[in-house]
Amino acid sequence: MEDNQYGSKINKHALRITDLTAGYGEDSPVLQGISLSLEKGQILCMVGESGSGKTSVIRAITGWENLQVREGSIEVWENDISHLSFKERRKLLGRTIGYIPQNPAGSFNPIRKYEPQIREMLASHDIRYVRSEVEEAFARMGLDSPASLLGSRPYELSGGMNQRIVIAAVMLLEPSILLCDEPTSALDVMTANLVKDEFLRLNKEHGTSILMVTHNLGLANIMADSIAIMKRGRIVESGDTEKVMCNPTDDYTKSLIGDIFNL
Amino acid sequence: MKQSEDTKFLITNIFRKIAETILLLIILSLLVFALMYIAPGDPAEKRLTSQGTAITKEVLEAERARLGLMRPFLVRYGEWLFGIIRGDFGISFKDDMPVAPKLAAGLHKTLILSSASLILSLLVSYPLAIWSAFRKGRVSDHIVRVLSFIGNSMPNFLISVLLMYVLCIQLRLFPVIADGSPASLILPVLSLSIPMSGRFIRQMRSEFIDQLNEDYVTGMRMRGVKERYVAVNIIRNSLGHILTIVGLQVGTLMGGSVVIETIFRWPGLGKLVMDSINSRDYPVIMGFVIIMGTIYIVINQLTDVSYHVLDPRV
Amino acid sequence: MQIYIAAAFVFLLLAAVILAGKIAPNDPYRTNATLIRLAPCREYPFGTDNLGRCVFSRVLFGGRTTIAATFFLVAISFGIGTFIGILCGFYGGIFDRIFMRIADIFLSFPQMVVAIAVAGILGGGMAGAMVALGITMWVAFARLARSHTISIRNEPYIMTSILAGKGGVYIMFRHILPNILAPVLTNALTQIGTTMIGLSGLSFLGLGVIPPTAEWGSMISEGRAYIQIAPWTVLFPALATIVTITLFNYLGDAVMEYRNV
Repeated sequence: MEDNQYGSKINKHALRITDLTAGYGEDSPVLQGISLSLEKGQILCMVGESGSGKTSVIRAITGWENLQVREGSIEVWENDISHLSFKERRKLLGRTIGYIPQNPAGSFNPIRKYEPQIREMLASHDIRYVRSEVEEAFARMGLDSPASLLGSRPYELSGGMNQRIVIAAVMLLEPSILLCDEPTSALDVMTANLVKDEFLRLNKEHGTSILMVTHNLGLANIMADSIAIMKRGRIVESGDTEKVMCNPTDDYTKSLIGDIFNL
Repeated sequence: MKQSEDTKFLITNIFRKIAETILLLIILSLLVFALMYIAPGDPAEKRLTSQGTAITKEVLEAERARLGLMRPFLVRYGEWLFGIIRGDFGISFKDDMPVAPKLAAGLHKTLILSSASLILSLLVSYPLAIWSAFRKGRVSDHIVRVLSFIGNSMPNFLISVLLMYVLCIQLRLFPVIADGSPASLILPVLSLSIPMSGRFIRQMRSEFIDQLNEDYVTGMRMRGVKERYVAVNIIRNSLGHILTIVGLQVGTLMGGSVVIETIFRWPGLGKLVMDSINSRDYPVIMGFVIIMGTIYIVINQLTDVSYHVLDPRV
Repeated sequence: MQIYIAAAFVFLLLAAVILAGKIAPNDPYRTNATLIRLAPCREYPFGTDNLGRCVFSRVLFGGRTTIAATFFLVAISFGIGTFIGILCGFYGGIFDRIFMRIADIFLSFPQMVVAIAVAGILGGGMAGAMVALGITMWVAFARLARSHTISIRNEPYIMTSILAGKGGVYIMFRHILPNILAPVLTNALTQIGTTMIGLSGLSFLGLGVIPPTAEWGSMISEGRAYIQIAPWTVLFPALATIVTITLFNYLGDAVMEYRNV
C-alpha cells in the first residue's frame, strides 16, 4: 500500500536532497546547501570527521530532534517530505526508511525480552511474526543460539551483541531505504565484516538503497557506489566512488585518502 | 546460570530487607515508648488526670506501684513490646478497657476509607498522567497540569470544608455527618483523593516524561513502532518508580485520614487518636503510631523489594 | 518572567501580612457580644465570627502566624539539615554513615503520623507543632546538601584550599556553602507550601496554635461549626490559605524550572 506512494518500482531516485539548509531553533545552520541523491539499489557513503554534519543529514531525513529544514527539499521516492512533522514522517520509518543509529545498543527496551519487542515491531508494520525467520536473521549476523537471545533482555547482553541484534531487527522490516550511522564503529573487525556483508546482501537481494554515514573512507571505498565528502556542514566533493578515490579535486578529500594509506 | 545468580541475589536481598524491617520496627517501638517519657507527667499521673480523679500523694503512689513504674526502663519496654507482639496494646487510661479491640475496630474503618481513596486517586491520576505525558506541551497537558497543581496546593481539611459547604449546605446532596453508610463515604474519600491525585499526577507525569526521553523510546519510534506499543513499554518500565511513589504517598494518606476522619466523624483510627489526644489516653496514641508506622514501613520495604524485581538492573 | 510575577505577588502578600497592624480595620482579638456572626459589611469586610471578632483583621493577623511559623520552621530545618549535610559530605567516614542511617530511619516513618502523635503528646501549641514537623523535615535538606557537597568536594579550588592548609570550617563556609546554596535554597522554597499545609493541618486539629491566637487552620476549624449560618468565617481564611499555598508552590515551581533550564 505504502509502495504506491513511496518506493514504487518506477521511481528512480530513492532519496534526493536538494539545496538543504537546516538548523536547530535560532542557531546558525548545521547543514548548508546540501545536495545529494541516492539512486534505487545503490549505496551512498557520506564521509567526514565528527562534527562535519553527516549525522545531521540523517536527522534531517528522519525529522528527529527538532532539526528544522530551512531551505531546500528532501524527497523520498520522489515525494517531498521536508515539510512533514516528525509524527507524519514516522509513518515512513521502519519499512520505507530503516534507520540504524550510531549506538544502537540502547535502542531496545533494556529490561524486556527481545522476543516480545520484535513481535511488537513487526506487528506495527502488519508483518507476521515467524520465529524461524527471526532466528535466521540473527544467524546471518553471526549470532549463536538465536533462540536463547530472543529470550534474553538487552541489559544482560554485551554492547556488540545488542548492536548486531538491532541491525538484524531493522533488516527484518526490509526497508527500501536504509540509513546507517557508523553502524560498525563499536564492533570488532570480524563482526564488522559480517555486518558489512549483510548490508551488501540486502542491497543485492532486495535492492535496498543504502545511505551510510562513516568516518572510515576505507570502508566506503569497499562498499559504496558513490561517495560524498562532508566538512563543516557542507559537501566538499561527491561522485562515483572510483572518481572520488582516484581523481580527488578537493584538498580535504586528498588528505583523507592519504590517511588511509598512512594508517 | 545468570538466572539462578539473579534469584540468589534476590533471595539474599529479601532476607536483608526482612532484617532491616525488623530493626526499623524495633526502633519505631523504642521511639514511641520513649515518647511517653518525654511527655509531661508520669503515666500514673496521666492516668489519673485522664480519669478525672483528684490527685493526692497517696493515690499517686498507689497508682505508681500498681502500674509497676518503679521498675527499670528496659524491663517495662520489653513487657510492653511483648504485649504488643501478642496483640495486647495495654489498658485504656480513660475507661480501663483493653485498647486492642478499639484499635482493631478503628483500623478496619480506616482501611476502608484509605483504600477507597487510594484506589480512586490511582484510577483518576494514572491514566491522566500517561495521557498528559504523551501530550506534553499541548493544551490538554496544560489543563491537567494546572488542575493537579491546584489539587496539590490544597490542604485536605480545606477541601473537605469546601466540599461540605457546597455539596451539603448549598446543594444539599449529602448528609453532613458520616453515618457509616456508603453514601457517607463519598465526601471523606473525595477530600482525601483530590490532593492525593494532584500529587500523583505531578509525580507520575514527570516519571512518564523521563521514560519517554529514554533511548529505547527513540529507538522504537525510529523503527516505526506504534505509539500504543511505546506506551506498553513505558508502563512496564515505570512500574517500579510508580510503586515507590504510591508507597510514599501512603504516609501522607495516613496523616490526611486523621484530619478527614475527625471532620466527618468517621470512626477510624484517626478519629480515635484525636479523641485520645484530647483525653490524654496515651496507650491508644502509642498503639496508633505503632500500627500506622508498621503498615508504612512494611509497605515501603515491599515496594523497595518489588522495585528490584521489576527493574533487575538495579 | 514567571518568577517575577510570582515573586511580586508573594511580596505583596508578605507586605500585607507584615503591615497587618496598619491595614487591619479592627483589633483581631476584641470580642463583641453584640456583633456576633455579622455578614460582611463596610466596617467588617469579611464579617465577624462567633465571638464578634473582625474576620478580615483575623485573616491578616492569622497570615502573620501561619507564614511566620512556616518560614521559621523551613529556615531552621534548612539550617540544621544543610549543616549536617555539608559535614557528612565533606568529612565522610563514620560520621557520615551514622547520620545517613539516622536520616534513612527518619524517612522510614510516616511524617504526619509522627507529627500528630508528637504534637498531641507534647501539647505545646505552635512550638510543639513545629518540633513535631521539624524532626523529619531536616532530613531532606541534609541529603540534598550532602550529595551536592560530595559532587564538588574534589573540585580543584577546594583541593587547593585543603593543600593550602585551610581549616575544614573555613572551607565549608567559604567554598562549599556558597556553591551548594542555590539548589538547597530552591528546595527550601518548594518546601514552604507543604510545610504550610502540615502546620495549618495540625492547627486545624487543635494541635497547633492555642486560642485565641489567629491562625488560618484554627480559624477554619472554629468557623466550621457555624458554616451554615456564617459561611464567611470559613470561606475567607480558606481562600487566604489556598491563595498563599498556591503562590508559594507556583514560585517554587517557577524557580525550579528556571534552574533546570
